[in-house]
Amino acid sequence: MRKVLLLGLMLFLSSAIAFAQSRVITGTVTSAEDGMGVPGATILVKGTQIGVATDIDGKYSINVPSGNNVLVYSFVGLLTQEVSIGNKSIIDVTLQSDVTALGEVIVTGYGTQLKREVTGAVSSVKGEAIQNLPMQSFDRALQGRAAGVQVRSSNGLPGGAVNIRIRGVGSINAGNEPLFIVDGVQLNNQSNASFTQSNPLAFLNPNDIESMEILKDAASAAIYGSQAANGVVIITTKRGKQGKAKFEFNAFSGETQPMKYLDVLGGAEWYQMRRDAHVNSGVANPEATALLNMGARPSNWQQLTAAELNDIGLGLPTYDWQRAVMGTGRLQNYEMSVSGGDEKTTFFLSGSYNYQESSFKPVDFERGTVKVALSHQANSKLNIETNINLSTFQQNVPFAVAGSFLGSPAFSASAILPHNPIYNEDGTFNTSIGGVLGQNVVLVNEYNSGLQRTNTVVGNIVGTYKILNNLSFRSLYGLDYRLLQGERYTDPRTPDGAGVRGRASAQQDWRTRFITTQTLNWNKSYNGVHNLSALLGFEFLSETREALSGTGIGFPTFQFRTIQTAATPESITGFWTGYKRIGMFGSVNYDYKKKYLATLTARYDGSSRFGANNQFGLFPSIRVGWSIVEEEFLKESTAVSELKLRASYGLTGNDQIGNFAARGLYGGAGNYSGNAGIRPSSLANLNLGWETNETLNLGVDYGFLSNRITGSIDVFDRRTNDLLLDQPILWTNGFDNIANNVGELQNKGIEFELTTVNVDTRGFRWNTTFNFTKIKNQVLSLYDGLEFLPANPGIAVGQPIGNPAFAGDVAPGSWFVAEYAGVNPATGRPMWYDINRNITYLPIAADRIYYGSNLATTYGGLNNSFSYKGFELTAFFTYEYGAIVSDGQYNFLRENGTRLTLNALREVNDRSWTTPGQITDIPRNLTTNAGNEPRGAGRNSGSANLLKADFIRLSQVTVGYTFNTALVNRIGLSRARVYAQGLNLWTYTDYPGYDPEFTGAGTGQIPLTKNYTVGVQIGF
Amino acid sequence: MKKIFNINKLVLSFSLTAVFLFGSCESALEVEPRQSIDANGALSSPDAVDAAINSVYARLRSVRNYGRDLFALADALADVGQTTSNSGRLIGENNNQPNAHFQAGFWQNSYFAINEANLIIDGLAGVQGASQAQRDRWEGEAKFLRALYYFDLVKVYSYIPTAVYQPGVIDQGGIPLVTQGAITSDAAFNRQPARASIDAVYDQIYSDLEDAKRLLTSRGVQYASSAAASALLSRVALYKGDWTKAVAESTLALNSNVGSVLSGNAYVSGWRSPVNPESMFEVRFALAEESIGVNESLQSSYTALLNLTNKNSQGGWGDFIPNATVRGFFGLTQLQIGTPATDNNNWDVTRNSDIRAQLYTTGNTVRGAGRQIECTKFLSKSGFAYADNVPVIRKSEMHLNRAEANYRLGNITEALAELNTFKGLRGLSAVTLSGNAILEEILLERFKEFAFEGQRFFDLKRNGRAIVKTTPNVNVQFDDFRILPPIPQREVDGNPNLNQNRGY
Repeated sequence: MRKVLLLGLMLFLSSAIAFAQSRVITGTVTSAEDGMGVPGATILVKGTQIGVATDIDGKYSINVPSGNNVLVYSFVGLLTQEVSIGNKSIIDVTLQSDVTALGEVIVTGYGTQLKREVTGAVSSVKGEAIQNLPMQSFDRALQGRAAGVQVRSSNGLPGGAVNIRIRGVGSINAGNEPLFIVDGVQLNNQSNASFTQSNPLAFLNPNDIESMEILKDAASAAIYGSQAANGVVIITTKRGKQGKAKFEFNAFSGETQPMKYLDVLGGAEWYQMRRDAHVNSGVANPEATALLNMGARPSNWQQLTAAELNDIGLGLPTYDWQRAVMGTGRLQNYEMSVSGGDEKTTFFLSGSYNYQESSFKPVDFERGTVKVALSHQANSKLNIETNINLSTFQQNVPFAVAGSFLGSPAFSASAILPHNPIYNEDGTFNTSIGGVLGQNVVLVNEYNSGLQRTNTVVGNIVGTYKILNNLSFRSLYGLDYRLLQGERYTDPRTPDGAGVRGRASAQQDWRTRFITTQTLNWNKSYNGVHNLSALLGFEFLSETREALSGTGIGFPTFQFRTIQTAATPESITGFWTGYKRIGMFGSVNYDYKKKYLATLTARYDGSSRFGANNQFGLFPSIRVGWSIVEEEFLKESTAVSELKLRASYGLTGNDQIGNFAARGLYGGAGNYSGNAGIRPSSLANLNLGWETNETLNLGVDYGFLSNRITGSIDVFDRRTNDLLLDQPILWTNGFDNIANNVGELQNKGIEFELTTVNVDTRGFRWNTTFNFTKIKNQVLSLYDGLEFLPANPGIAVGQPIGNPAFAGDVAPGSWFVAEYAGVNPATGRPMWYDINRNITYLPIAADRIYYGSNLATTYGGLNNSFSYKGFELTAFFTYEYGAIVSDGQYNFLRENGTRLTLNALREVNDRSWTTPGQITDIPRNLTTNAGNEPRGAGRNSGSANLLKADFIRLSQVTVGYTFNTALVNRIGLSRARVYAQGLNLWTYTDYPGYDPEFTGAGTGQIPLTKNYTVGVQIGF
Repeated sequence: MKKIFNINKLVLSFSLTAVFLFGSCESALEVEPRQSIDANGALSSPDAVDAAINSVYARLRSVRNYGRDLFALADALADVGQTTSNSGRLIGENNNQPNAHFQAGFWQNSYFAINEANLIIDGLAGVQGASQAQRDRWEGEAKFLRALYYFDLVKVYSYIPTAVYQPGVIDQGGIPLVTQGAITSDAAFNRQPARASIDAVYDQIYSDLEDAKRLLTSRGVQYASSAAASALLSRVALYKGDWTKAVAESTLALNSNVGSVLSGNAYVSGWRSPVNPESMFEVRFALAEESIGVNESLQSSYTALLNLTNKNSQGGWGDFIPNATVRGFFGLTQLQIGTPATDNNNWDVTRNSDIRAQLYTTGNTVRGAGRQIECTKFLSKSGFAYADNVPVIRKSEMHLNRAEANYRLGNITEALAELNTFKGLRGLSAVTLSGNAILEEILLERFKEFAFEGQRFFDLKRNGRAIVKTTPNVNVQFDDFRILPPIPQREVDGNPNLNQNRGY
């Protein structure tokens, strides 16, 4: 965009005439940001029409008529500066970045707009804000950066899934993923890796991003019609800038560390706990039985006294299994980019390498990317450009992404009985592990292997043709191609592999998405006050996905690790699926003197996913704005430098359902006795159509004190109608559910963004940005007057729904459970409230109440940055409040070793009831009846195990120093910066599990890590 | 001029490409699935019907049906075994905790199978190019399977006709009886069946099995056959108290050439071969991918052994093992047969003369509960881990069915003679008994014969007897609501005509 403005400016300025009787001033205009010359910057003689533009190196020469003594230096995105000439003939000027610029241009649907003319709810995150963060995908870096955008890492897998929700959860069955668009290509962001999570968005090096715009209200997003219900994230990657070739080298390296080790019991403590639990349960020989449970009962135990057995138990050692499998990991990142060009052609090339280990070896992420962006002005009318992002990344896979697998280090390390040695005295692995977790996870981890690779091409070719001065045609062809390959080997030397003599699996998954967009842009200004522009477009998208996978068992020895050597094919399977979308859209923009603004858009979309009677839908929107600051009474005010009221209303659609969800089908399934089977897989619904989001948005943009204070406030009411709900079918009718358009859901909330320049004196600058979102989610109605969904009573009218963990997951309901009443102080029995608020030991279905959901109600971020003479300090906090979660890992540990012989958390065991009169929430320990009182509910039942996942986190701290430009110029550099950075260094929470930030069941998941890096950026 | 023309050509080609790519909007949105076919007319060819029948059989493999629950979970509810806490499974069921019973998935999977069978039966007229023999086979097998699923459902969710608990019950009913397939959303939305009476359900099972008997021959014990229909009918008749029928059908089954009654070592080796020769109908696990896995397979539920060759190899969980009663039947106590004691291969059990004692041995010390006496009826006989063919009906049962029915008919001599013949087959000496003691002895043999095969719970239930537990020592009286499981709550919530069982 800068380039376009620049071209226009140059044309305009070339016609300026120089006056006689003047003196010549020369110099260079550089940018404070990178120390490079600024080509195309404007130098005006103040109070005249006289001006020039800088050349490709930022150099200029200007004739200044006598009597004029001030030059004005300006450039889009940089702070304008005035300089008195005095008696100087050479003036070098360094322009500062305009961080509070409301003159900035932001990318909107199929075009760009000046921020001050935007009438929808759009948040913008610049590439610089997330630069050099050791995060594999940009979605994770959005956490806390924009109001209304909630981001949660699903776990600590580098390159793993990230949960991103724009303005709440608007769908139960049809998906809540925003539409991601990279350089005009709408991405498919579903992951289908078999062996680990591979976040499709991790293909892009976040440092290649120029800007990210988030279209939040339906009116802004409606131009994307059927894809836009959950908001749109538009990513623009870096383009070449006119000027001589600019090289940038960027490197950082560091390490990852676990944020937390769980404080679990030692060997002797666990023995004591178990012994006492046996006593409580009336088990004979509690000492011997406890030792037996630990696999530590001597064979001559019948000859030993209880006291002797007790001594054995109290003498048991402790081994730290968590530290045996968790620890420090390495991370590093190198990249090089070069950009430049002349008036006709600009280019940007970059290459990068990124490596990061998780806190659990060997789980890691390794990526290489190449990016090419070219733009060529073929003649005054035709511009052609291309953006190509090539990427490959591979990940060493975990035993499992989640789950209570005995061999999974992430599950077992904290839960294995602590007296078990990891190694025998001779240094070999101990394979005789006492307790229910009978596998040596260090051995399993060492012997198993697996790799997941993701190769991605996202690219486009764009032609823009200027039919008339105010009419242009743009034609885009884009491709999103992804190949997933994976393999995993379960070693025959591990318990899971022994029974089958080794198991190897392999996966191949291809996805090809083709998109083309044809648009016409027109604009005209009448009398200089009525400004009108219009857009007309057509889009087609087609996607196919195809996969092949197989598993083989029976390997000669452990050295043979690929399916080729398997004796028996265990399974071989694959699939094919596809869908198509077609759409026409248009928009009209009108403003009167930039004061009164209005935009109308409409899109007509068709999708192959819907029933034959209902494949097409219309999505209109309207946005209006009143820029009060443009009114005469405010025009000269510096106290109020920006004030704009906005209102918008629009419809967007959601089609994130199965490709054939509307069809009645028989599918292949149910093979029997070696012969193929088929069975009905879905019921037809010819009327199945869009789920529609209807959003009303009211907002105000403000700026005070010459924009030292800027920001916006938005309130919204987002309603989802005709929910694509999997309506339950009675099982007696042979099906589980049918996709149907029933029910309504509401997300309403308030968003607040604030940016301030707190101090800006003598080179010292302190900026603060803050954002805050509060959201209320509730089901407004279901069908047939039902108050709750029969198959899932957590989904109930008036209650919020939960946040689905992964793309394609169904949104969970509210917690609908009996409320925990703590422990009876007299007996140590766990108690619950029945529906009449009386105490019960055995709550029944009728006692359940609604207990909130795992969807946070409040979240946001706070950033403070300080800079002084090249030094800078950034501290960035994120926070979340209001989510109620169940954490599977914690739930296992909360059983306190009663149901299963698992280790226990010290804080839980310390709270367990032991003496009459004790007020606590952890029941007395028992070993019979799965650790529960006879005819009593399980100790984790009801709300007993639900946790508040509130936290405030210091997500990022950066300390940096940029060397003086003049100094580095002497050694041939244009810029040099060094920095140190820390991620997730501190978290304020009372969460008892590994970390409150996760999605999914929480069992056996790799938690997020702390990261420390040091880095260097060099420009030349 | 020429240059401009060129550029226009470029623009033209850009836009023309777009136009060609789509043609008309309607066809632009056409995508056909490749691994599914339209439900309309899906069952119009003989191959399709064959495949559809396979799926109805395959549903029997589900963990919720014969994959585990109809055997292991049913026995856990009864007085057969005790739990080890090795994986924590089946503890609640063995303790008869409220709601620890047959699960929603059993209801779901069974009714899905019934709908598939109904669709096959409904669509037979529309199959193109099928012979009469094929039609007979399809109808016979579909009806056999429908009868089996209904019988399994009704024996679990309802009282058994020979012992219906009456007082103060909200709903004495059977289960919803659906004999028409649903394939359209209309039927799926609108049909809300109430519980049919228990008798109506048994009448339907009778009628289907009679048809199966008439229409079928035999094509292997993994498929329904005329003899298997008789065999199942003899058990259904026993549950219904239709003693004459039970005698007649068990005689028919015994006289058939499907399956054989084994004795002595042949009986034990029958349990060690992939297909037990005693089977009259069994659920086939043919491929490694059908293995149920280490957590919930029958093998894993019953034993920690991987195989009998090396007892030290880590196998399943061994969650559910014989209690003192069952150990007493066969004289089982742990016995060290070599040194060192740490080697699990140096351990076995003592046994009495009952040949069935051979089906029990010691496990290993891999899991938390240590070495235990376990049942080894299921030990990966098909050649891959954690999957065994599951014998739904063994021919030996016919002797016990007939003996019991004869006793009830007053044919005491026949009953006692058949009981003693049967005892001889198992290496036990004949008994001289009279009166009720004969019935008790028949039921006791049934207990011993089908321990870990899921019959005991229903044998107690159909006789209206309490479950007398040894471990834990908590009994369940016949009038206790925990005899019946809850009907899945979603079905009750979604169907105003469907009444929940008492107590839930």
